[in-house]
Amino acid sequence: MIEDFREYKKNWLVGKVESSELLEVVKKVKEEYRTLITISPTDFLERIELNYFFTDLESKKSLWLKTDISRENSKIESISHIFGGANWHEREAFSTFGVDFIGHPNLKHIIISSDFYGKAPFRKDFDIEAHQKEVEKHSLDIASNFEDEFSENSDTETTLNWGPTHPASGPLRLKVGVDGEEIKKVSADIGFVWRALENLIERKDFVGAITAVERICFMDNTNSMLCYAMAVEEIAGVKPTPFAEVFRVILGEVGRVSSHFMGIGGFFGTMGLHTLQMWAMDSREYFLDFLEDYSGARIATASIEAGGVRFPLNLETLNTLEKAIEYYESKRDEFHSIFLKNPMMKKRASQIGIISADEVHEFSMAGVVARASGVETDIRKDEPYSAYEKFDFKVVTKNGGSAKNRFEVIFEEIDESVKILKQAVSDIRSGVSEGTYNLEKDHLVKVPKKLPKGEAVSRVEWARGELMMHLVTEEKGKTPYRLKIKAPSFNHTMMVEKLLEGCTISDIPIVFGSMYICQGDLDR
Amino acid sequence: MIKVLDFFDYARSESPWMVHFCSGCCSLEMAAAMGPRYDWERYGYLPTPTPRQADVIFITGLVSKKILPVLLRTYAQMAEPSYVVALGACAFDGGPYNDSMSVIKNVTEILPADVFIAGCPPRPEAIISGLEELKAKIKRGEPSSASQGGLWKEMKF
Ligand code: SF4
Repeated sequence: MIEDFREYKKNWLVGKVESSELLEVVKKVKEEYRTLITISPTDFLERIELNYFFTDLESKKSLWLKTDISRENSKIESISHIFGGANWHEREAFSTFGVDFIGHPNLKHIIISSDFYGKAPFRKDFDIEAHQKEVEKHSLDIASNFEDEFSENSDTETTLNWGPTHPASGPLRLKVGVDGEEIKKVSADIGFVWRALENLIERKDFVGAITAVERICFMDNTNSMLCYAMAVEEIAGVKPTPFAEVFRVILGEVGRVSSHFMGIGGFFGTMGLHTLQMWAMDSREYFLDFLEDYSGARIATASIEAGGVRFPLNLETLNTLEKAIEYYESKRDEFHSIFLKNPMMKKRASQIGIISADEVHEFSMAGVVARASGVETDIRKDEPYSAYEKFDFKVVTKNGGSAKNRFEVIFEEIDESVKILKQAVSDIRSGVSEGTYNLEKDHLVKVPKKLPKGEAVSRVEWARGELMMHLVTEEKGKTPYRLKIKAPSFNHTMMVEKLLEGCTISDIPIVFGSMYICQGDLDR
Repeated sequence: MIKVLDFFDYARSESPWMVHFCSGCCSLEMAAAMGPRYDWERYGYLPTPTPRQADVIFITGLVSKKILPVLLRTYAQMAEPSYVVALGACAFDGGPYNDSMSVIKNVTEILPADVFIAGCPPRPEAIISGLEELKAKIKRGEPSSASQGGLWKEMKF
């Protein structure tokens, strides 16, 4: 049933199926691969190609299925009853590409704002200019819809709006149906920071796309640039130098650490304990100092591009990093004794938001959330990229899957990242003194401005979980033809809906905070 | 009577409270400005979760079409005089998302800002210096720009 079945890269298989046979194939796929990563449509003007990415978090094997559907009659069988995680991904493809998923339980628009409903804005023939001419009318429509929506209440149930201006929510709204204190139903309203990045990138060149890619989420922006750079390098057939690979690890881990600090701060902040938030922000500043020393910017570093890293390294910059590590380590024990053993945290967070290992597979949880439920998944180990194979670190897992466990995983991962950073710094120092690394030249190899026709999938372990990009290019293309970004918060927010049912109102911030969600990567 | 009003203006200018509202990535640097290293409380600023008690609202960079009514309603809920501070390239003209299909490019035409703070994202120092500027404006007794005009007055939200 699967045509042209072959190996794409290590542990990856790729094949093509007829759209009419998809459902049957997917049923078989489920026996071997338990998780759906994402569904990525590409519009080729004469047809729409749907790419399904599956993986198994235990056997570490992945599968990529392609199927074609026609543009005019873009219908296909829904797979969300087989893979629970497909639910929102199908809704996204429906909203952005107008693909109709037959049998989907709740095929409503998601992410896009209401002026794009039914218009399939990511298709190649969508006329943005014409659409933008009416922007004023659209804004007014959205504003009056907003008024209607916020006044919805039925006789039997009260609807609470948690967000989009709640101090812990960020720009996202949970519509919470409550009966007294008890939560009956939750549905998430997202898209408040939708910037249509996937579409915006199609109008930038390969280097310019970096500014958009790093803005997926600013908490950890280095790893998202890395993911994009890897996809471009794969198509261009370029390999960065060993030095650049090691330095990318450093940048990536600094991004992870500074994001984790925000994460633990946010989690405790939602409980009303702002001390940790302040302490974490304090330690984070020192890591940002390093980024600033290296690139000139604290956050928007634009420091990783295809071919390596953007700037040559001055060895003194590494001193700033060592200072940051030292500072954190001097604070570490205090952090642990006050917050990890905090009785309030133990009481409030250990019984709620529990995710089982089966749910992790079924609903495509990733990163911290998956590891807190005992699923040992970490792209840095499963599909090693950059120079991660060189370094020794362990994958932190916890059994239990509660909000508290997730918090513990984030906490302990900071230590693992610090371990990697130390090894990488000494690797660079010894490499320079032995003469294997040339700091003046090694940072960047040239990548052609025009890429050949191709397709690449790259995955990295982001601070919040797996980030995957699917890049499609055309012959002599100067811009990406299509870039699909799969980011972890999307599925995690979907899970929040399920987790909160049956909880009480006061549990919302803690459960939400523990899922480590960034609205940037949720909406893209 | 005049003396009493002067006193209130003075008090307000030395402790502007800011409503919690974030819509773009600039809010990360705003968080840093609240954090221990830059600590804007030294200057009298305080974030508050409710618009009813706030004097200032931040447009934290990007404003998408979907969040625009939220911004306007939050602003309208604030008690007069209420000031607006715009952060970042996005609040000016869409910044890096200028040609995105879902971003409002003229936020400050809709909701005029009293102070613009440049950067992408602006550094915490810049944010604090922008707020000092706002203090000066309040001290001079000038009305807030948004109360003087802007498209928001004609919109329903
Ligand atoms: S100005 Fe820059 S940092 Fe601020 S919201 Fe816009 S893109 Fe983000």
